[in-house]
Amino acid sequence: MKTKTIRRRKKRIFSLLLVLLTVCMTGCGGQAGDQKEIQTDTGTGEEGEYKTFVLGDTTFNAENGEEDINPHNENGGWACIRYGVGETLFRFNDNMEIELWLAKSYENLDELTWKITLQEGIRFTSGREMDAEAVKECLEALISEHARAAGDLHIAEIAAEGMELTIRTEIPVPALINYLADPYGCIYDVQAGVTEDGIVQGTGPYKAVSLTADTGVVLEKNVEYWNGDPKIDQITVRTISDGDTLAMALQSGEIDAAYGLPYASYPLFENDRYTFTGCATSRVFFGAMNFESEITGDPAVRKAIAMGIDKEGFVETLLGGNGYPAAGVYPDSFSFGGDAVTAETYDPEGAKAVLEEAGWTDTDGDGVREKDGTPLVLRWLTYPSRQELSLLAESAQATLGEIGFQVEINSTANHNSIRADRTAWDVYFSAMVTAPTGDPEYFFTYHCLDSSDSNDGHYHSDKLEQLAQEMSQTFDTDRRGELAVEMQQTILDDNAYVFCSHLRMSMAARAGVTGLAAHPCDYYEIMADLDVEQE
Amino acid sequence: MRKSDRRDMGKVGRQGKRRKAGYWSSGRSSRNIWRYIIRRLLLLIPVLFGITFLSFAVIQLAGSDAVLQKADAAGLTLSQEVIEAQRAELGLDRPFLIQYLSWLGDFLRGDLGVSYVTGNDVFSTFVSRLPATLLLTGMAVLLTVAVSVPLGILAAVRQNRFTDYLIRVSSFIGNSLPNFLVAIILMYLFSIRFPVFPVVSDGAGLKSAVLPAVTLAIAMSSKYVRQVRAAVLDELGQEYVLGEKARGIRFSATLWKSVMRACLVTILTLLALSVGSLLGGTAVVETIFMWDGVGKLAADAIQMRDYPLIQAYVVWMAVIYVGINLVTDILYHILDPRIRLGGEEV
Amino acid sequence: MKGIRNNRIKAKLILFSVLVLLLLLAAAFAGQISPYNPNQQNYEIALDPPSASHPFGTDRYGRDMLSRVLAGGRTSIFSALALTAVITVTGTAVGVICGYCGKVIDAVLMRIADICLAFPGLVSALAIAAVLNGGTVNAVIALAVVSWPKYARIARSRTLAVKSSDYIAAAYLAGDKPMQIIFRHILPNIAGQVLVTAVLDIGTMMMEIAALSFLGLGAKPPAAEWGSMISEGRSMFQLYPWLVLAPGLGIFVSVMLFNLLGDTVRDYMDPHSRQRG
Repeated sequence: MKTKTIRRRKKRIFSLLLVLLTVCMTGCGGQAGDQKEIQTDTGTGEEGEYKTFVLGDTTFNAENGEEDINPHNENGGWACIRYGVGETLFRFNDNMEIELWLAKSYENLDELTWKITLQEGIRFTSGREMDAEAVKECLEALISEHARAAGDLHIAEIAAEGMELTIRTEIPVPALINYLADPYGCIYDVQAGVTEDGIVQGTGPYKAVSLTADTGVVLEKNVEYWNGDPKIDQITVRTISDGDTLAMALQSGEIDAAYGLPYASYPLFENDRYTFTGCATSRVFFGAMNFESEITGDPAVRKAIAMGIDKEGFVETLLGGNGYPAAGVYPDSFSFGGDAVTAETYDPEGAKAVLEEAGWTDTDGDGVREKDGTPLVLRWLTYPSRQELSLLAESAQATLGEIGFQVEINSTANHNSIRADRTAWDVYFSAMVTAPTGDPEYFFTYHCLDSSDSNDGHYHSDKLEQLAQEMSQTFDTDRRGELAVEMQQTILDDNAYVFCSHLRMSMAARAGVTGLAAHPCDYYEIMADLDVEQE
Repeated sequence: MRKSDRRDMGKVGRQGKRRKAGYWSSGRSSRNIWRYIIRRLLLLIPVLFGITFLSFAVIQLAGSDAVLQKADAAGLTLSQEVIEAQRAELGLDRPFLIQYLSWLGDFLRGDLGVSYVTGNDVFSTFVSRLPATLLLTGMAVLLTVAVSVPLGILAAVRQNRFTDYLIRVSSFIGNSLPNFLVAIILMYLFSIRFPVFPVVSDGAGLKSAVLPAVTLAIAMSSKYVRQVRAAVLDELGQEYVLGEKARGIRFSATLWKSVMRACLVTILTLLALSVGSLLGGTAVVETIFMWDGVGKLAADAIQMRDYPLIQAYVVWMAVIYVGINLVTDILYHILDPRIRLGGEEV
Repeated sequence: MKGIRNNRIKAKLILFSVLVLLLLLAAAFAGQISPYNPNQQNYEIALDPPSASHPFGTDRYGRDMLSRVLAGGRTSIFSALALTAVITVTGTAVGVICGYCGKVIDAVLMRIADICLAFPGLVSALAIAAVLNGGTVNAVIALAVVSWPKYARIARSRTLAVKSSDYIAAAYLAGDKPMQIIFRHILPNIAGQVLVTAVLDIGTMMMEIAALSFLGLGAKPPAAEWGSMISEGRSMFQLYPWLVLAPGLGIFVSVMLFNLLGDTVRDYMDPHSRQRG
């Protein structure tokens, strides 16, 4: 009885429901339609010659210290130089050698004094002329605001006269010119100041008009650019921190070019519809051995590790060929890099023999070698923010496993405090830019010497200390290169470090984009010759 | 029945204590409501203290700090002096308790400080991200209600028929798919395969909100449909519906009213639970769709150990939590005066 | 008619219990039944599509996806079960104590519960995962911190209701000690509802753990876990969809089974909800 009434009630409700559903549907439909119209307005409504370009970038965010384009604010210089807003006095060519840029010439008067003459007729986008006084102001602001720059440059005094700049340093700084080519050395008009959003007035082909941290920056053509004619009227740099989303945005045509695509997505763009450019950078994926560990303190173990990592397989299979197996600290593009040094190659049988000889044998048949009761357990410390490091760890876990290691991976964002504790790890794998300014001294100063802050594994070599001492006094570039080769070979002979691969920096753009090329130092992206065929 | 459902869903677990109708006689009622509201707002104080301290402690325990995280991300090696100098500048060299107390002091003066990472004012950064999250929340809730109420009623009306089974099976499916998987598939289908919606949000455009909102709505609707269906069935079985018919009141009007009220209370209960977390921003969905809301902001801030920003987020969560609880309690009371305010606090 | 419905529910209960049991067995004996070693790398067959020898294909290390999905199931399912068990026990214990003792203890514990409830799960998870260096165990702890209060509230309100009943008063008069009252009279009375809530929660918890792993806070390499497998495979979804779909299927099927079981258990335990079918 009761069920019957319920059923009848249901029928009534059913009819009302249909009405409700219809209303909802039409409501939603109407909304979508409205949006479409708005989209067409902003999308393709532009007329004629007005060219626009959208670059998607994974790195333009606070996480990378690039919350704005102020070169004196952390890594803001990277954004400043990459997006064509700022330029430096000197720049690097494709072999990471120094070239002139805003500077017309330079002279090293003595160990402490440098004279730099500036190009004439260059104006900041603020309208002010770039003369020695303006550069002096900018460099003085730099050393007072940017701790790393101050530590690199050791500037005691700057004098400006017309177009001539004289810099005196506190101590001999042989690489001063290289340091000035670091992105922090972007020259901007200090008098025009930095806006609240972090916009500066540089000398580059484009001028920033609006900026929102972690979202992007809008650039406009600098019509008075001194070194060519910028071709694009408006460029939008869009921060897309997630690599996979970035790839999809390029596929869907929302962006014209992408920086920071994940390796796994490369095959999607290696065809006619896209142009793909890449080159080796000095960012290297490498491991440092802990000399105070029972395991890696043993030279045989270090040698076996160096022989037990399949660099080729890692690069070919896991990175899909988008990387370069590394021998030493620097990639091929450096005169003192690539094959200038020799390192152990992948040789599992050889590694087994080395371990066997040193007394590491698998006595209990569990696949892991022991020596005097100590199992060959390798505590592998690394961090997750760079995808290659995880891939490398898992790959090595397998290849070293076959040799008789048991690799325990600890991939943590907290790696910095852990690596300070020398009892907590055996090898530490990280990704570092080894020559941000093209000069070889940097890497050794920071990583391998007794005085190095990042020498967490307590590596010490008398020979290396001596060579480093010599380098710090050497002004001749060729001699510095020779020293760099010797120093690399020293640390490789000790197997103190294993260099696995160099990052291949790649950019993809839709077909029709020209003048966008990857560069070994990763600094130059948007240049005056960037052009695009509008769709 | 509704009572037990609410408990099932339970976070808030508000127990509807039924009392005689008219317990809240007009004058007394409004005074009591105010007293009640004030009492509940006072609750915010211990929650705020506890939660901010807890988050400060927990992030501190997590190790590393803003200075190191930034150096890492850029792949640069900093000298110890530079690191120390930057730490001192941010006050990170002080003992943990001092750091907390100084934050607290500023907070009590209404100053949320500046971000360790960007140096921007935390309050304005946070507020600038709110509209995006609000928009996403609004759209997701609208979509959910628009889908689940009609479908829930439909399923109840067609109980044990094909339609009912179809709706229930779909809701089970929707409920068993993790939102990140849904997001990936939706994005692939509707941005790449059939490019209808953009991959990345272009500011706070409605069009770019569709996919993330749908992602959120799929899981929510699946849950809501079942609850609405149960509530409607429950209502249809109530004796008073039959009684009213006997008294000659127009059948469909009564039924419609009672069914809608049942739906409303159910939806309200569910919303009380979901809106809180939605307003907190859904980190996973916001991250996948590059949606610049507070969820993504918080996830990034945690990654970078940006204490002031994390604290702002935590304060926001506490305010939402207390606020939503309060608002739903009052709404319950308005919808159904038999439910005593804050039955919980016996 | 009621009898038929009862039988149907019983039949469903048995069916889903058996299916869940099978799932648990498959997860528990993943090592025995999986065709390959889930961590065995082989670059030669990297990214092979599904085939007879590798029904779910292989990943970029050339590892067998079916074996990894099975191994991942063990991590995902058992951590979800552990998590649910932890929060159920803790929450119920706190709730019963609050309800039984009342006064200061109640006030303090419930404020702590408030704080945990209001504490963003994301902050808790990211922080705890960072402290303990990731890993599934830590994802479980992190989620437990923010999930237990729900059970505390259920247990507390049920305890309050039971406490005021006549037979508890009788037990008092008969001289029963508090512990005896709690274990003999209160717990049995609230167990049903707590159990129903718990079973319904397993699926949700599994998805939450997977979400944390997806954000990179859960399982550590080379351990397989469904959330992290999807996260890893995401970049390759368009070219090698099985990398995402295989673990996705794992999550989907197991969450679905636990949800169905939960629903049926509720219908079985709560006679009032039965009529809804």
